[in-house]
Amino acid sequence: MFTKKKIIAFCCACLVFLAVDIWMFSTVKNSFAKTIAGVAVTLAKTIASSAPGADESVPAWLDHLNTAYPGYSFFYCKGLPGEEGFREMGGDSSLAAYWAQHQSDEVFVKGVESASYLEVYTAPETMKIGAITGSLLFVPIPAETQDSAAGFLLMAADSSASRSFFSLVNALAIIAFVLFALAFGIATFSRDPVTGYVVLALFAIMLTFVAYPLFEAVRLTFITNGRFTFDTWKTILGNNQYLLALWGSIKLGLCTATLSTIIGFVFAFAVSRTSMKGKKFISALATMPVISPPFSLTLSIILLFGNNGLITKQILGITKSNIYGLGGLTLVQTVSMFPIAFMTLQGVLEAIDSTLEDASLDLNASRWQTFRSVTLPLALPGVMSAWLLVFTSSLADFANPLLLAGSYRVLSVEAYIEVTGMNRLNNGSALSLLLLVPTLTAFFVQRYLTNKKSYVVVTGKPSMRLSNLASKGMQRFLSVFIGIVIAFIILLYGTIFAGCFVKNWGIDYTFTLANIPEALTRGKDAMLSTLTLAGIATPIAGILAMVAAVLIVRKKFPGKRLLEALIMTPYAIPGTLMGISYILAFNKPPILLVGTGAILVINYVIRELPVGVEGGVAALRQIDPSIEEAAADLGADQPTIFKGIILPLIRPAFISSMSYTFVRSMTAVSAIIFLISARWYHITIQIYNFSENIRFGLASVLSTALIIIVLLVFGLMRLLVRQSEHLEKTVSIR
Amino acid sequence: MAAQSVPVKLENVSKTFRDPKTKAEVHAVQNANFEIQPGELVTLLGPSGCGKTTTLRMIGGFELPTQGKIFIGGNDVTYLPPNGRETATVFQSYGLFPHMSVEENVAYGLKIRKLPKEEIEARVKKTLELVGLLDLAKRSPGRLSGGQQQRVALARSLVVEPQVLLLDEPLSNLDALLREQMRIEIRRIQKSLGITAIYVTHDRIEAMSLSDRVIVMKDGIIRQIGTPNDIYEKPNSVFVAGFVGKVAFFPVSLDAFNPEGSFRCTLAGRRLNAGSKADDIAIGGTAVLMARPESLSLLPPGEGYADGTVSARVYLGSSVEVYVKTQYGEILVQVDDPAGKKIAGEGEAVSIDFDERLVRILPESKEEKQS
Ligand SMILES: Nc1ncnc2c1ncn2[C@@H]1O[C@H](COP(=O)(O)OP(=O)(O)OP(=O)(O)O)[C@@H](O)[C@H]1O
Ligand SMILES: [Mg+2]
Repeated sequence: MFTKKKIIAFCCACLVFLAVDIWMFSTVKNSFAKTIAGVAVTLAKTIASSAPGADESVPAWLDHLNTAYPGYSFFYCKGLPGEEGFREMGGDSSLAAYWAQHQSDEVFVKGVESASYLEVYTAPETMKIGAITGSLLFVPIPAETQDSAAGFLLMAADSSASRSFFSLVNALAIIAFVLFALAFGIATFSRDPVTGYVVLALFAIMLTFVAYPLFEAVRLTFITNGRFTFDTWKTILGNNQYLLALWGSIKLGLCTATLSTIIGFVFAFAVSRTSMKGKKFISALATMPVISPPFSLTLSIILLFGNNGLITKQILGITKSNIYGLGGLTLVQTVSMFPIAFMTLQGVLEAIDSTLEDASLDLNASRWQTFRSVTLPLALPGVMSAWLLVFTSSLADFANPLLLAGSYRVLSVEAYIEVTGMNRLNNGSALSLLLLVPTLTAFFVQRYLTNKKSYVVVTGKPSMRLSNLASKGMQRFLSVFIGIVIAFIILLYGTIFAGCFVKNWGIDYTFTLANIPEALTRGKDAMLSTLTLAGIATPIAGILAMVAAVLIVRKKFPGKRLLEALIMTPYAIPGTLMGISYILAFNKPPILLVGTGAILVINYVIRELPVGVEGGVAALRQIDPSIEEAAADLGADQPTIFKGIILPLIRPAFISSMSYTFVRSMTAVSAIIFLISARWYHITIQIYNFSENIRFGLASVLSTALIIIVLLVFGLMRLLVRQSEHLEKTVSIR
Repeated sequence: MAAQSVPVKLENVSKTFRDPKTKAEVHAVQNANFEIQPGELVTLLGPSGCGKTTTLRMIGGFELPTQGKIFIGGNDVTYLPPNGRETATVFQSYGLFPHMSVEENVAYGLKIRKLPKEEIEARVKKTLELVGLLDLAKRSPGRLSGGQQQRVALARSLVVEPQVLLLDEPLSNLDALLREQMRIEIRRIQKSLGITAIYVTHDRIEAMSLSDRVIVMKDGIIRQIGTPNDIYEKPNSVFVAGFVGKVAFFPVSLDAFNPEGSFRCTLAGRRLNAGSKADDIAIGGTAVLMARPESLSLLPPGEGYADGTVSARVYLGSSVEVYVKTQYGEILVQVDDPAGKKIAGEGEAVSIDFDERLVRILPESKEEKQS
């Protein structure tokens, strides 16, 4: 256990960490000290400008200063020492005594000289003057002409507050070091150091990039000008405009979730309980909106139903149509989110054992009765959870409202405006935290629903044969309904495609190819940087997800539940909150990342990790642990087992986690809109800019390009996963 | 390819699992002490959940003992991970690598050891030959029968020439016939290579027919260690007697201790002498007398130790099993060489007798009455 090599490695690591620790905490202390000094200088200038000209009002002024600024003491001199007309005007007695004793010291001479040049001078050393221990400032009192000093004010500023802050910081630094040494020691000297290191690394990553930013966001809403207050929350909760936005978000969520669940249920029912044709096609098309880039559906809704919309203006001749607002938003969100409900409910319906329905039909219940009394009650928990899923997605949605909200207010956009438009970061983070409340509620209700022992009869594997529960007429009705929805989706995508070739949508519908080269040249940089960063994030997220899954499924270590919770947290956090918390946390030392590409990559990885980890966990649970144990037994160490055994066996999960990360990174908006920089731009933001400037042709071209990329990646993934399908079959063989 | 044989020793080894949810403690293994000689094949035998697998996994390095020390070849390996020990395990579920062919599975351990390619090929070939799988070398393990998979697992463990071979119920997935064949095969290979082996099973026949010595466990505690013969004929408790074979129990009162190591005791008013291995038996108290079916015989009513009526008779060819209902419960009497003998039929009244020299006295036990 305690070998020489390990002890040396341990000591080296401790030294490195100590250096980082000291550097980090000293930057914190320095920046704090600078702020404090800045505050004192500003205060000094304010005071200096309030100095009275007439001698007789000086004592009253000094009295006023003493009462108005506790923790400071003052001593006022007119003129400059050694020059004609120099007079000590009085002030704090101990300061006067200190002055009398030290006035020929080098520091004092220098201070007075600075004051004569109208510059505030702060003595470099901390001094103890009477009851005050702190810094001494030489503050020039300007003459009426403002071009020379009429005198100077000695100002002693107490720094006991910052001294206690410093000792707190020091204590924290020591605690951090001790914790590190402890954890690292355990990891190094335990039986499985590799796992130990990986656990530590994951903890470090998650604490830095999940817990810390969120903490910063919460902290900011309670701190104004360095003080703890409830001001921000009072502003937010007392302001009609913000409450309106909250209500707007909820209202939109209710509409979208309800509509989407209904449509999703119809689709799921048609696919799993009728003999309708073209089920594969329906499923494939219905998943399109999930993977297509943001803004694209909104864009085509605007092209069709906007002020200059093809349908509203050209076909129906309505000049004052208004698609902007709740109606339009519900429409576009429903189209983009009903597939979530569809996929959830399809799983639910397929898991219900059809023999129950057969039994009911056997007892001479009609199909409708069977549906109402058997199928629907059994599916109800699933319906509820589908509804909640859509509800949370609707609340977190940012891209659609950004383009289509008009004067309708929703929280995510409101938070964005507060941050980028008004530069009120505290309000922004408070608003996005507000967004978290319904999201978290829904999240926990859903957890409760899925954990609760419901009476859903799940047979484990989907039944081979599912009952047909629709009568002829019903089936015809369903076909027509689904046909309309599908036609609408095709229409929307067709519009984007057509938009690429139209000169000036809404005004001039002549065919042109000019949009394509222009969009591609103007979007080239954004496209390149998006591809680069998504390409970097993809393998990192994939490997990290699989490593985390292995830890969660196979290893035992203290704090496992906490780590799991930290990894899963970003799943429940709206992108807006994530983005705002990242700018708060990483635009200052010790971790300065704003403006770099790294912050985007990190954001992609952290946000998409939960889905990848879940996939990896599910895949690993299918695999007999003795396969890995056999490899260890034959002499393979942890990294070799991971590379040679685990990764090949969970390849499908690994590939889908990577392609998921890639696609989501390519189509991200809500978080990264806060994090992009001129150097590291994002293609979706470019699409947004084009749309905002009514360059619909260019926006269409970029949207189409993005859709093609996303489809290609998914196609590739399908191909790769299919290749390893033979594997999945043999893995479970014992 | 015989590696030099090494001993394995467990010193006061205990393992306690803590349920993460209920916080309840499970004492899977308690205070295990035993030593296995070089080249010996020892079986861990016991009912389901008695801690056999846990013991084996601690020796293999997959579990860390809560207490105690494990030595292989005289070295303390308690804290070594599996890849640091010269053990090789054949898992109950085989744990074959599904993404590799049979050949690649067997070669894995050698590749990890970074042996030259030619040597790997030669050794893989030799080992596959040994287990009779040479013609299936290119197959994927998913497309093998259970017995073939089992042999791949064995070959994969043997090829690295481990000092200790650990086998966890390797035959439990096979049908009866194949099981018998493989048992003989494993024994043959183990002996020819001289590997120290520990074999886990809950099948007493497997344990008896395979091992040099048997370790009988129950509820995490080792109950007896001995040769199959010892365990069968001279068990030290009612549990061991019942677990390793069919047996009848009679309550007796103990009268005196004979200097040659047997007890004088009384059963149903008749006095007899019987041997014992147990040491916690007090003169004057009561104890249990055990008799194997083959040491029992049938007499006319009133002449033996216990009277009863025949409830069933099963003809097995080389022997006949007669079930007799008595005041001590249903007792099985095995009558060998039935040809030409007159054997009592169903419903007939009989009396059960036995040869004093073949029965043994065991201490009474409270918990094990039902077994
Ligand atoms: N990882 C674990 N966590 C908690 N309890 C465990 C764990 N592994 C084993 N146990 C418990 O320890 C006891 C012994 O288990 P073990 O697997 O050693 O039994 P076994 O003798 O091999 O049984 P079987 O013949 O059924 O394989 C059992 O009660 C089991 O429930
Ligand atoms: Mg077992």
